[in-house]
Amino acid sequence: MAKQTDIAVDAFEPFAVAGARIVRRRADELFAAEENVLDTTDIERVHDMRVASRRLRAVLEIFAPCFPQGDFKTALRDVKALADALGERRDPDVHIEDMEAFERDIQATNRPGIDKLVARLRERQARGNETLAVALEHARESELHARLHSLCDGALEALT
Amino acid sequence: MKARQVKGLEPEGTLGDNAERIVRVRLDELCSFMPKATDPKEVVALHDMRIAAKRLRYVLEVTGPCFGPYAASAVKLVKDLQDLLGEIHDCDVQLPEVDAFLHELMEEDAAVAGESPKGLAKAPNRRAYAGLVALQVHLRARRRALFEQFLELWRDYERKGFSARLAFAVSERAQSDE
Repeated sequence: MAKQTDIAVDAFEPFAVAGARIVRRRADELFAAEENVLDTTDIERVHDMRVASRRLRAVLEIFAPCFPQGDFKTALRDVKALADALGERRDPDVHIEDMEAFERDIQATNRPGIDKLVARLRERQARGNETLAVALEHARESELHARLHSLCDGALEALT
Repeated sequence: MKARQVKGLEPEGTLGDNAERIVRVRLDELCSFMPKATDPKEVVALHDMRIAAKRLRYVLEVTGPCFGPYAASAVKLVKDLQDLLGEIHDCDVQLPEVDAFLHELMEEDAAVAGESPKGLAKAPNRRAYAGLVALQVHLRARRRALFEQFLELWRDYERKGFSARLAFAVSERAQSDE
């Protein structure tokens, strides 16, 4: 399961100060989960990174008014695109796992149909992996991690 | 589903006050799907309610420690609701996919079986039908059971004053330990 570190918050601190700290941490967690994410034999890795992407997207949306708007919109769009690509890989992973569990509980005469469905899902999983590889490359080339940090710096600078 | 806009957020204002505004809008958004989502055919409302639960959960996970103690309990309640609605959604997504896949296999077989019933013996997918029909039945049964659990869970939340208690909790401010 994806690790989400607790981030201490104070009800009386400025909204933008909390937003910068929380978004920075969630961005770091997203990119820390990147290693071996394209390995289809270990589906927990893509799950962890997808959960991290959802958490990052959520905090970006919560603290949206704190960030410089032009850069924020581009960064949010790129985080959403990465989250969608992670979903395209993760959805067939989960479906395959469900079907394999279903297969264990049914009569042998029912298995050929489920095997065919699993084969179809593996094709989708492979396509999802290709989509994810492109999205990860885009995130790297466009320095998404650094741009997210820079957004957080911008939120703090706007306060001073 | 596009999130409702939260008005009056101020970067220089306190986290507690801004988060309170967000939680109130997200809570109202979640509750707005009832009673529509009590109809099992309202697939879109159920899906949107799941998204609303997810948004409320995330804001509470991050800002819950700013508020009264019930906010922490609400995180788990909202997560349970989101998980259940997620399982219902999975059935709603998988069922049409299985229907379409079975239809595709039957079309392939119809193209080679010919006019005599004996032709079915050479249909390449003939052994696949039973499992896929069993899966259709399973998904329908599971969806039905999950929907009943959802109704019961929501009734329980209403009985225990979930919405009013959370609304009160976000009007409270936890004092910092430092």
